[in-house]
Amino acid sequence: MTQNSEVVRREMRAFIEENFLYLQPDLKLSDEQDLLAHGVVDSLGFVELVEEVQGRFGITVEDVEVTEENFGSIDAIVAFVHRKRAG
Amino acid sequence: MCGLAGIVRPAAEGVPVSEDALMRMARSLRHRGPDGFGLLLDEGAGLVSSRLAIFDLHRGWQPLVSPANDSAFVYNGEVYNHPELRAELTAAGEQFATTSDTEVVHRMLEREGLDALDRFNGQFAFAWWQPRHRRITLVRDRFGVRPLHFAHLPDGSLAFGSEAKALFASGEISAQADLDGIDDVFTLWGARPPRTAFAGVRQVPAGGVVIWEQGQIVAERRWWKPRYGEDPIAQEEDLEALLRDSVRLRLRADVPVGTYLSGGLDSSLLTALAQEETEGELRTFSVAFRDRRYDERAQQEQVAAAIGTRHVVVEVGASDIAGAFPEAVDHAETPLIRTAPAPLLLLARAVREHGITVVATGEGADELFLGYDLFKEVELRTLARSDPRRAEALLDEVYSYLGSAARRGPAFRRFVLETGADDVLLGSHLTRVQATATVKSLYDPGVREAAGERSLERLRAELPAGFSGWKQLDKASFLEVSTLLETYLLAAQGDRVAMASGVEGRYPFLDHRVFAHAAGLPAGMKLDGLEDKRPLRSLAARVLPESIASRPKQPYRAPEVAPFFEAGAPAWVEESLAPESLAATGIWDAGRVEGLIRRCRAGRAEGVREGMALVGVLSTQLWHRAFIGSAARTYPKETTEPRVRIDRTLKLSTRKAR
Repeated sequence: MTQNSEVVRREMRAFIEENFLYLQPDLKLSDEQDLLAHGVVDSLGFVELVEEVQGRFGITVEDVEVTEENFGSIDAIVAFVHRKRAG
Repeated sequence: MCGLAGIVRPAAEGVPVSEDALMRMARSLRHRGPDGFGLLLDEGAGLVSSRLAIFDLHRGWQPLVSPANDSAFVYNGEVYNHPELRAELTAAGEQFATTSDTEVVHRMLEREGLDALDRFNGQFAFAWWQPRHRRITLVRDRFGVRPLHFAHLPDGSLAFGSEAKALFASGEISAQADLDGIDDVFTLWGARPPRTAFAGVRQVPAGGVVIWEQGQIVAERRWWKPRYGEDPIAQEEDLEALLRDSVRLRLRADVPVGTYLSGGLDSSLLTALAQEETEGELRTFSVAFRDRRYDERAQQEQVAAAIGTRHVVVEVGASDIAGAFPEAVDHAETPLIRTAPAPLLLLARAVREHGITVVATGEGADELFLGYDLFKEVELRTLARSDPRRAEALLDEVYSYLGSAARRGPAFRRFVLETGADDVLLGSHLTRVQATATVKSLYDPGVREAAGERSLERLRAELPAGFSGWKQLDKASFLEVSTLLETYLLAAQGDRVAMASGVEGRYPFLDHRVFAHAAGLPAGMKLDGLEDKRPLRSLAARVLPESIASRPKQPYRAPEVAPFFEAGAPAWVEESLAPESLAATGIWDAGRVEGLIRRCRAGRAEGVREGMALVGVLSTQLWHRAFIGSAARTYPKETTEPRVRIDRTLKLSTRKAR
């Protein structure tokens, strides 16, 4: 991953901690952990996550791209943003 | 419609019941009955009433004493078929001093005992004092429209009152929090009777009877329970005839009756039927929101115009909600998870200002005829087992009002279609329980551990015998009637905020004959695919324009976060959420609440879950400050106090056997 990817990783982790993990302060979230399965984000949180990625990184997310494969974990988001920027 | 209260001691001798205490109890309920106080003192017993005059305005005083002077009666509510019952009793030789329903109900009880309850069509709570047995009988109507609280005191005395505040006003019990009751609110939206949010204060359940004799509670049972299952006899009943008769009965009053008009199917149908039964102009009232996302004004005005009512719109903005919210909590006497009671409190106030004290309203239709999305979710979870694609497509259709399904991604579908799928008892309600549980994430760790999953465990343990074998949608309807409807919609969002202004709500869909018909229909006749409330829609198509009859359900909601975080929000919001205030209440983890507050301030807490969590915290703080964390309220004699009738030391006859 590039340095840019590390920025994406750091910023998304900070965003998730600030906005979702206040409800689970004891959870040690790893980058590969499933955000839905661990209840870190609910369905509205998922929408918020998608919008944050769009706004923060200046990319357009198509409806068909709103999937767990792309947004289900911090790793998934980093990879998705990387692909979109490369694409 | 009134407030009632009283205290009874185990023995006639001994500590007398204080007239001052009884008057404080009456004054604490003055909002329920601003037209007059009545007090009866017996040996070791006292009953009080605060009266809202609806029938026999000049003579219908309470407490009532039987002609034989051997029992007394205080009553809150209406039995709508009282003229028919009165005619029967008169034919049997009974004579009456008033034309009120109170006297008919009391006389029926005197003659037939509690068997008479099955004859009553209405909404009521009462206390029936029989000094010969030193017995008091507390009874509540089938669905729990009217409230009734009681406390069994350490010396065996029983204090009771329409609202818990009357018990605290007596000086015989102080307000303490009940964690299980509070946790019920954050699980099922309301404490399930007999539990309340207060330790030691219980409620008579819907359709319940509590009998106290000589210091002991000797019976607690249900005189009526909701029964489900296909019933050929009930199916043969004509819904239109039943509903028209229910509306006709509920328009009986010696004062004008109006209706609440939400703009949806149920209140529109009810209003159309009420207009047909009303000579002259029917008055209708509705809440409109300045925030257009919640507003149904256009639909309401369309219905009012189509039916031809004289309509009043009460527009509510965020600051109005914030301003009224503490008062709504004070009347509800419980933490809340929605702000929705506050606009209804303001609506009732406006109704009163327009000179109306009785309104018919549409609660019950969604529960009986399967109107809520929750019922559709039950069907979709079943469908998802055989055809998940189709279930997902239909789910997106159900929730199309939430915006683009694709943008909601996989989480929403998975949440709705998988949550509760394996729970044969409570499966229908676990999406709501889980969505509500965000507020529990904010509990102090000790509270979280103490509460555990006990609220749901209690509910499971108290389900009717054979419940697991019921049809899925019958189970879901039963749970909806016995949790949300009874504990929240009819209470915090119903009786309490209407009676705050002395306005009586009446519920034509909760006529027990309408219920029996609906519960006896096969579920498929009520909900077919996504087509809900089919019998009501069919009836509505005959009496309303097509565009109204086919209108989809729009949940009644009010803004939840904005009122408390907009510029100019009341100072109590910040005070309530300060770490020291949170610590004083002892329910919340201040650090987690701070996370939520950050989100609210940033305008990010736009979801239902966080809205409920914020309202849960704020209302708990207000409730605690109003009842638990401050000195007991005093209720001194008011200069504007209404007329008081006092029967001093009546010495009810204990000799005459009946």
